[in-house]
Amino acid sequence: MIAHAASRLFRRAAVNLWRAPLPSLVSVLTIGLSLFIGASFVLGLLTARALVTSWGAEANLTLYLDPGATDAQARALAEQIGAQGQGLEVRYVDPATALQRLRGDLGELGPALDGLPENPLPPSLEIIPREPLQAVGLRVLAAQLGQLPFVQDVEYGREWLDKLEALGRGLRAFGAGALLAVVAAALLVVANTIRLAVYARRDEIEIMKLVGATDRYVRAPFLIEGALQGVLGAALAVGGIAAVQHWLLPRASQAFAFAAGVSAMHLVPLHALAILGAGALVGFLGSWIAVARFLKA
Amino acid sequence: MIQLFHVRKEYTGDAPVLDDVTLRIEKGEFVWLTGPSGAGKSTLLRLLFCAEQPTSGQIIVGGHNVGRLPQAAVPYLRRNIGVVFQDFKLLDNRTVLENVGYALEVLGASDADIRDRARKRLSQVGLSHKAASLPRSLSGGEQQRVAIARALVNEPTILLADEPTGNLDPSLTESTLQLLFDANARGTTVIVATHDRGLLQRWHRRTVGLSAGKLVFDA
Repeated sequence: MIAHAASRLFRRAAVNLWRAPLPSLVSVLTIGLSLFIGASFVLGLLTARALVTSWGAEANLTLYLDPGATDAQARALAEQIGAQGQGLEVRYVDPATALQRLRGDLGELGPALDGLPENPLPPSLEIIPREPLQAVGLRVLAAQLGQLPFVQDVEYGREWLDKLEALGRGLRAFGAGALLAVVAAALLVVANTIRLAVYARRDEIEIMKLVGATDRYVRAPFLIEGALQGVLGAALAVGGIAAVQHWLLPRASQAFAFAAGVSAMHLVPLHALAILGAGALVGFLGSWIAVARFLKA
Repeated sequence: MIQLFHVRKEYTGDAPVLDDVTLRIEKGEFVWLTGPSGAGKSTLLRLLFCAEQPTSGQIIVGGHNVGRLPQAAVPYLRRNIGVVFQDFKLLDNRTVLENVGYALEVLGASDADIRDRARKRLSQVGLSHKAASLPRSLSGGEQQRVAIARALVNEPTILLADEPTGNLDPSLTESTLQLLFDANARGTTVIVATHDRGLLQRWHRRTVGLSAGKLVFDA
């Protein structure tokens, strides 16, 4: 009996979609557009976060040593740090090399350094993590290295890192809020669109109830229809995003130069599945809300 | 079978549509429910199939107090009540056979069972040859016969008809009513609301009169 009812409900849902193509099309397009906007937004957000993370990951450390430390002591320290097994590449920069670099950096003003009575620059060690480090890891490493002998100061762009972290937190908060708003708006629009379709079939609902259909039985074909419309809309959204990524994004990437080596997030099969699932869910919930309002009325 | 005790129905701010109606209808009876427009006939029928709740009083249908029936139990009560309306209430996008079988679908019957029983009912109302037609291609009389076939397809114990001949030519009235008499002869309790005194004079049955919401005679 249940199998009869279930197969009939699915058949009915498919037939209803076919028999009322215009309301179905409007629902499918609405869901498709909402998901397209939502998914594009999420992908954009993921790209932005990846970009911020990559900026953080590029950070290096510089250890400024005691000016009294000898060449041999500095090199020994460099070897000690390199041998700690933390995946760090260590380069020793002696004061003469540091001065030479500064002269180069100053360009035309470089010769002004010639008047200095002695080289004021301390020896230093440049620490480059072989694997990208997150901000927290960088802070811990800086604190550890600061404890080593001869190390007077550790420079790792703390302020820059703070700003990046704040930006990351802001993006997460904004992303969560905005995504919630997009989903809520989509659900509302979809529910109202489906409500129109349900309203167009109020006679059918009235007759169903008249002949003894339970609310669950009345609701079921609408929910199945909603889920089917959701999946169709989601397929449109996936197609739209794939098209945008294929045709538009390469040009946009060139224009905006994601120079940090981070390319825009691409739609992978898992994303596509998630969008299809979201479509089914939005269609299902939208129908539920629409029919619930109608059954109450 | 059907009992009403001091039933009152009113909508906020308006005079009561039904006022202190007490009535008992036995199983297998045929009852005309009559009175002028606005007398409360349709409201009384709507109370019987739980489309509305009484403001006060008690209604017992088949042993169930409909006022105390949980909302979830209403569909199961309705499966024992067939309803026929003046405007037929058929689904235009379904064939005649599908319309008749609709009442069986909600019971979870198999496709074959639905087809067989719907065909049998269509045959009883003389419309076997219209099984594949859409309702809008049928005459008013034929549509009403389809509606009656749908109301009777799951063999309800009660049949309620609200002005079933109101939209029909006099020539079609007799054949339509005959279907209701036939159902009654098979044991179904039938209540027909009508304001057409000609029907009451031609077919003598128990007649309950309503006027301005009050029961004014029962003969």
